[in-house]
Amino acid sequence: MTAAAARAGGRLRRTAEQLASRLPPLALARRQVAALAAAGAHGRRRVGPGETFWQFRRYRPGDAAAAIDWRASARTHRLYVRETEWAAAESVWLWVDASPSMRFASRPGLATKLERARLLAMAAAVLLVHGGESVALLGQARRPVPGRAALSRLAWRLAGGGDDGNDDGGDGGAEAAGLPAPQPLPRHARLLLVGDFLEPLENLDAVIRHFAGRGAAGHMLQVLDPAEEALPYAGRVAFAGLEGEGSFLAGRAQDLAADYAARLAAHRDELARLARASRWTFASHRSDRPALPALLALHIALAGQAA
Amino acid sequence: MATAFLSGWPLAFAVPWVLAALALLPLLWWLLKAVPPAPRRVAFPPVRFLFGLESQRRAAQTTPWWLILLRLALAAVLIVALAQPLLHPSGQALAPGHVLIVVDDGWASAPDWPQRRRAAAGLVALAERHGRAVVLLSTAPRAGAPPAPLGPMTPDDAAGLLAALEPVPWPVARHAAALAPDSGLAAVGQVFWLADGVAADGDRDFIAALQRLGEVTAVAAAGGPAALALLEPAQQDGALALAALRAERGGERRIWVAASDADGKLLARQELTFAAGQGRAEAQLAAPARLANRIARLEIENHRGAAGVVVLDRRWQRPPVGLVAGGDIEIMQPLLSPVYFVARALEGPARPFQAPLGRIMERPPAMIVLADVARIAATERERLQSWLEAGGVLVRFAGPSFAQDSDDLVPVALRGRGRALGGGMSWSSAQRIAPFAAASPFAGLEVPPDVLIDRQVLAEPAADLAARTWARLEDGTPLITAARRGQGWLVLVHSSANTQWTNLPLSGLFAAMMERLVDLARGSGAQPGAMPLPLLQALDGFGRLAPPAPGAGTVAADAFASTMPGPATPPGLYGDDSFRQSLNLGPALAEPAPLALPPGLARMTFEGMGEIDLRPFAYGLAALLALLEFYASLGLRGALPWPGGRAATGAAALLLCALAAAGAARADDAAVPGAALEVRFAHVLTGDGRVDRTAAAGLAGLGSVLTSRTSIEPGAPQGVEIETDELALYPLLYWPIAAGQATPSPVARAKLDAYLAAGGILVIDTRDADRELEGVAGTGPNAARLPELLAGLNVPALMRVQPGHALTQAYYLLSAFPGRWDGGGVWVERHPGGLNDGVSAIMIGSNDWAAAWALGDGLQPLYPVVPGGERQREMAFRFGVNLAMYAVTGNYKADAVHMPTILERLGQ
Repeated sequence: MTAAAARAGGRLRRTAEQLASRLPPLALARRQVAALAAAGAHGRRRVGPGETFWQFRRYRPGDAAAAIDWRASARTHRLYVRETEWAAAESVWLWVDASPSMRFASRPGLATKLERARLLAMAAAVLLVHGGESVALLGQARRPVPGRAALSRLAWRLAGGGDDGNDDGGDGGAEAAGLPAPQPLPRHARLLLVGDFLEPLENLDAVIRHFAGRGAAGHMLQVLDPAEEALPYAGRVAFAGLEGEGSFLAGRAQDLAADYAARLAAHRDELARLARASRWTFASHRSDRPALPALLALHIALAGQAA
Repeated sequence: MATAFLSGWPLAFAVPWVLAALALLPLLWWLLKAVPPAPRRVAFPPVRFLFGLESQRRAAQTTPWWLILLRLALAAVLIVALAQPLLHPSGQALAPGHVLIVVDDGWASAPDWPQRRRAAAGLVALAERHGRAVVLLSTAPRAGAPPAPLGPMTPDDAAGLLAALEPVPWPVARHAAALAPDSGLAAVGQVFWLADGVAADGDRDFIAALQRLGEVTAVAAAGGPAALALLEPAQQDGALALAALRAERGGERRIWVAASDADGKLLARQELTFAAGQGRAEAQLAAPARLANRIARLEIENHRGAAGVVVLDRRWQRPPVGLVAGGDIEIMQPLLSPVYFVARALEGPARPFQAPLGRIMERPPAMIVLADVARIAATERERLQSWLEAGGVLVRFAGPSFAQDSDDLVPVALRGRGRALGGGMSWSSAQRIAPFAAASPFAGLEVPPDVLIDRQVLAEPAADLAARTWARLEDGTPLITAARRGQGWLVLVHSSANTQWTNLPLSGLFAAMMERLVDLARGSGAQPGAMPLPLLQALDGFGRLAPPAPGAGTVAADAFASTMPGPATPPGLYGDDSFRQSLNLGPALAEPAPLALPPGLARMTFEGMGEIDLRPFAYGLAALLALLEFYASLGLRGALPWPGGRAATGAAALLLCALAAAGAARADDAAVPGAALEVRFAHVLTGDGRVDRTAAAGLAGLGSVLTSRTSIEPGAPQGVEIETDELALYPLLYWPIAAGQATPSPVARAKLDAYLAAGGILVIDTRDADRELEGVAGTGPNAARLPELLAGLNVPALMRVQPGHALTQAYYLLSAFPGRWDGGGVWVERHPGGLNDGVSAIMIGSNDWAAAWALGDGLQPLYPVVPGGERQREMAFRFGVNLAMYAVTGNYKADAVHMPTILERLGQ
């Protein structure tokens, strides 16, 4: 099982890196750096306040005299300013909904929602790590770790591998919950939640309030199957839920499509409103669409949530 | 078993009680209506959102009315099918007892055999429905046995036998049929006679015998017998006189006779018309002799049957006969020419032609006549002798020159001088010809008393002179002598071929004798006599030639005229490879007359037997309905996902394809004038999208460089499909070799050859200089495919481009020709032909030039060059410019090299 999970993890990582290779590395917008000092500063690979030497630059009028590196300037006839690397660090906690309802694909050949959600989360993690950020999985008692070495472990976990020495059976537990469990996080943490968010709104609201109340900024990405959006069924159909919700017999399923679409839209609008209320972002993605635009949207959201 | 009729409808049911099941349909209606279709189960995560959605349209859960109707129709059709519906049922009542079916299967039954067989099958089905046993009797004799009844048997067995029954190519022998009312025939009560409608011997007795067995119904074609017979043609004035007979004496009827050769190729057709009430039609088939000689088969068109076919053997072919006239001077007056009478006599049976002996021996005919030829040149003599050995017939006539000094190519030794009989200087009188001996080929010919021989050459007496003499005068001197030479005959007529020495050429005897000689030549000299000839190919009942069945008999060669075709001697070709003779059915038939049926006999026509069993149609309809029902049910359950959508998608795809095809067609139409109006370079479409795109981009890039630097301003490059597109419009064809490229078809190769021959230039780029062994050309993987791709193409000897070649100086001075790769050589024709203006029509390289020339939208290069540097790309472009110059200006540039020298000389 562990070997299978490792293989699946390797595959997931390769696919995600392939996807992420089309976007630049993702460095989070700077936000309350001081508050995050505890998490450990790390270089942002650009000029900024920090300790590590970054580069010499020709002196420009307006630079402070103290900034001039006399030792370097003495070697030539010009004045050089010493610049340091901008050191800052943010940590991002990822969570992917692995509940049974995510293991759904409306037609063969289409990725299940879970596969798509894991791919997007992993690709975002790859971008973040390449950008120098730290990434961890929500719900697992591990600190966010920077560096590429963290990616393999993350991929393995995302693909269903359990904690070290506590292998839970390869596929992420028998019945994972449809929502992240409340859990203490450092203040000003970043959250990336990927799932279908088909739970009742009050449950969702409770979760958002819990994390937002601890100062965490969040990004919610809803992954839905095309069939879940369009209800493309016709005739006499018995619909069965995947998480024990019961079933529903439709005489002419095609007659329900409009009403269903309205309900789904209402749900989504309300979810977006809840997210906005906590200054979170919300995006929706369909599993038959290319993953890259969704990743790009995530990229923009993660990089741009500085305000 | 009962047959229920619907009054006024030609429809009946064999098992009508099954129709009672139709009463159950309302029950089925109720059952179908009560049970709603089963739902389809699908997993659906957001099922929560569905809870409580309106369900007022519950009515839709019951089966829709049209589906119920469909199912009811299906059930009804099945029930009807089980009741065995029949269309046009024959109301034929059957007398008690077995059913005897008499089938005439002689030659006259072949034309309407399918109707006959269908009628017989209908009768068997009738017997089956009535549960009767069947006795079969076919009236043509088979393999020596007279016709005898078969059975009684079950109708199934009878149907099998009938299906295997085929007409035979000889007459029926109804009178010989064993019809004694004993054995199997005792229990017969009903007789059906499928008559062929042609009268035969003993018909009256036959009908009486049938009537003794039971109720007789004669079944015959409504329009009378269709049988026709074609007689053997006669040679008449160089044409074939055709004659055909018919049994039925109705109104005017036109038929066409087709003449074909041994391979079945149609050579000529001739129309024959039977006048109203007449049983015989005649016409002449006029065909050029060359064609007439090849006729191997005459056949009445659109008529099946052996009697309508005549197989011709060599008796009908007019062999060519070469004539050579001797004599001191060329005698121009026809009546005095030595060969004039011979030619006239031969015109009927042969095709005489006059020519010098040397010309004749180029294609030696079957027979050559030398009239008064004294000496034969040594070379021709040799050929003549070998031709004689191979079976030729050489007929020589004496004459004044011959008598003076003859050579020794004669059957008997000749005395030095001839003799004159009669006349003013002789005591003796002119001699008559003695009657021909029995052994002579002229045996049986009448000798007219007024034929006189005035002069002749004399044979030296010898022991075998008598044996070699075919004709002699009344005083016993040989007039015609002959000797066997190998397979052939050497014949000498001791008198002249014109009227100088004898009046024989003026007589009818002369023509008859010449005809006998032609027969000799025609039979390749073989004298079959009474030799039994084996059957080589037999005609079947439908007039098709086929290898004979084992055990077929033989016919003596002289007995063909008296042989009646029958089971032992079927019509066809007899003989072996050297001698063939045909036995035809038509001439052996007496004038066929229509069959006279006694007035009391019950009659039916084949058309009246057209009972059609509707079961297959009913089951087919049921299957169709079941399929419809299946799809409708699937659709209702939603198991056909988005049926409308899919159909619309399919239709849209089809429409798009059609539009694209139309667009492509228009594009093709537009491409030709485009290429004709401006210079456009073309590249061969390889089928590898990447290679093709690169080639197009490369030629476009080269085009932009050419436009900016030179006066060549090419249009957009054109990808051409060598299999289909016109190549002649393009001055240069660039062919990148792709690994997966298909080998050109012979058509494409022919087009490429024509393109190169017409001045096109083919630049083949194997694109694999990077994978070649260092400095060894042709070792790349694509180059290895070249022999296969260019197989059959006319590729001349090639050489590597040498310094000073026009390619190195057509515009730029170049020493290397790099492309994307560097180092691969360029190979051109070693000796460019004058045809192509001294320009090498074919160039082969491996440097992947198109990739180096390929520029993107912003004129930035698409591929890096290896080993690298923009210098290499510049050189690649310069090579491209040179190549284009070379292609467009031809050897003008090569000549321009010498311009300084020329100017210098002019200055001096």
